[in-house]
Amino acid sequence: MPANMPKRVKWRKCQKGRNRGNASRGNTVAFGDFGLQSTQLGRVNARHIEAGRVAATHFLQREGRVYIRLFPHKPISGKPLETRMGKGKGETAYWTALVKPGTVMYEIAGVDEEVAKEAMLRIAHKMPVKTRFVARRHSL
Amino acid sequence: MQIATIRGESRKAGGRKGNRRVRRAGLLPGVIYGHGEAPETVSLSLHDTLIALEHQQHVINLVTDGKKSQYLLKDVQYDHLQKTPIHVDLMRVDPNERVHVKVPVELKGTPKGAHEGGVLVHVLTAIDVDCPLVQIPESIIKNIAHLALSESLHVGDLEFPDNVKPLHKPEDIVAVVRAKRGVSLDEEEGEAAVATEGGGDEPQVIGRRAKDESEAAGGA
Repeated sequence: MPANMPKRVKWRKCQKGRNRGNASRGNTVAFGDFGLQSTQLGRVNARHIEAGRVAATHFLQREGRVYIRLFPHKPISGKPLETRMGKGKGETAYWTALVKPGTVMYEIAGVDEEVAKEAMLRIAHKMPVKTRFVARRHSL
Repeated sequence: MQIATIRGESRKAGGRKGNRRVRRAGLLPGVIYGHGEAPETVSLSLHDTLIALEHQQHVINLVTDGKKSQYLLKDVQYDHLQKTPIHVDLMRVDPNERVHVKVPVELKGTPKGAHEGGVLVHVLTAIDVDCPLVQIPESIIKNIAHLALSESLHVGDLEFPDNVKPLHKPEDIVAVVRAKRGVSLDEEEGEAAVATEGGGDEPQVIGRRAKDESEAAGGA
């Protein structure tokens, strides 16, 4: 089963925090030949990640290999509808990954550039952030 | 081996602010070091550098203040989107010197295992080699049509030109043909639907069970 939340956590809920700056890590194509890079700050939740994976797998028909470089580590809590304020923090509603401009979210290996581009376009449609298609760069 | 020429000019070391000023002027800040001499800071033509990088060149000719010298492109830093170079490291080298560089590994052909339901995983896309400066290979090419399912290509199987020595162990894996997972697409999608519906169960909280047990024991 695809992972859509951590198996074990130290704390069930966490504070909102702030997502700022640019990605200084995880901003290169590391495993595959082509990647999908975020150009915006944002939260990509477990459902987005899974929707992207399904879109790519469905298009590729099990050709090549899709790498998911995101994991939803952050629990987001919410209060049920029609509930009065107070009575403590709500229960975890969903899990999300924080992305920054530059984060490589998905990678594809073993397919041609045109096929990878089309697969990435399909993933991009499922993402809540703007993205760009990137290729692996030769290192010196 | 082609050698690109990059125009440049020497500049005063200005730190982060100085580098930003250089970039605003449309140039690329760089540093030259090596051979036990004091480092020098330079500004390079961004256009020329981009062309050299696009052609995957390791050695460049730098023309500064009318003088032409040969340097090894040691490192390039890019911006957060990995789009534009923001700094270049150049190393002083002697034409007879041996250098350590990364050379891309190009795999040609479709492996036999791919027709048997496998997928090619290219593990080592660039290989570290030790070679003379004037004999840096553009790439290491290998035909992989013979690779069957679950077979792998090792560094020892690659053919290197004379004078070029790999810095990896011969048993290091370059590429492998792995079997695809035996799950049909429908099953995968079914699993996905289960996984995304309602968020599933809560994750286990570390140390919670021990705490609950101790509280229960205290209450009794």
